[in-house]
Amino acid sequence: MDAVFRALADPTRRSLLDQLFEQDGQTLSALEQRLPMTRFGVMKHLKLLEEAGLVTTKRRGREKLHFLNPVPIRLIHDRWVSKYAEPWAAALSELKTTIEEQAT
Amino acid sequence: MNAQNSGKRPWTASPEEKVFEIYIRTTPERLWEAITDPEMRGRYNFGVQVLSDWKPGSHYALSAPRAGDIASGENLEVDPPRRLVQSFTALWSDDVRSEGTSRVTWEIEQVADSCRLTVTHDQLAKDANGEIYGGWPMILSGLKTLLETGETLTTPGSLRYSQAPLSPA
Repeated sequence: MDAVFRALADPTRRSLLDQLFEQDGQTLSALEQRLPMTRFGVMKHLKLLEEAGLVTTKRRGREKLHFLNPVPIRLIHDRWVSKYAEPWAAALSELKTTIEEQAT
Repeated sequence: MNAQNSGKRPWTASPEEKVFEIYIRTTPERLWEAITDPEMRGRYNFGVQVLSDWKPGSHYALSAPRAGDIASGENLEVDPPRRLVQSFTALWSDDVRSEGTSRVTWEIEQVADSCRLTVTHDQLAKDANGEIYGGWPMILSGLKTLLETGETLTTPGSLRYSQAPLSPA
């Protein structure tokens, strides 16, 4: 989890994730063209994102494709949300019903 | 492009493919069981059970007693406890039904005392409805919690089909 926060703490790495969110499965060359950075710089940032599990790669022929893996972010969400979520969600849903009843 | 690539899509841009990866401290056998056992699946997959005889080419359905089938398809490759390839047709709304059939590949690889599970959801329509593949992070998070702690994750929506009322209130 430390690795995830460290990886997300850098604006360039967040923008790499944004690029993959926009279009998943990109090669290093494609990502390099979209960022004002050297190939080496992009590689370095991708490596940290991979180590944090936020980017996963697949080989296709000679190419290596990079995919955004949102699962570690979900684990962080669930760690702090799930314990409190049920009563809170129930209260919200009651509130919604009340508002809807008042609206009609 | 070249002979090696023929018959497959070009691999530079693949907006129709999504990859989800998670490490879970468990054995490949136990992970396989959690994916294919109706009862266990129901505890982390939106409350729906998976029903199949798991023979290659057989049919499967993700189904809840109250909600009916929410997805179904065919088991294209069944290689326990390593690899499962399934066709996938979402059935939970008219919107997702119109997206047609995609493909889900489960791959299990043992890494030290854990397993790396990779779920690849591909052959999606261009600009596919995010609902089709958007549930995987929640499902995999719930699967990890179940196998590592024996607990059921209670994030809102995570068990929505088991809690769905029989008829609208």
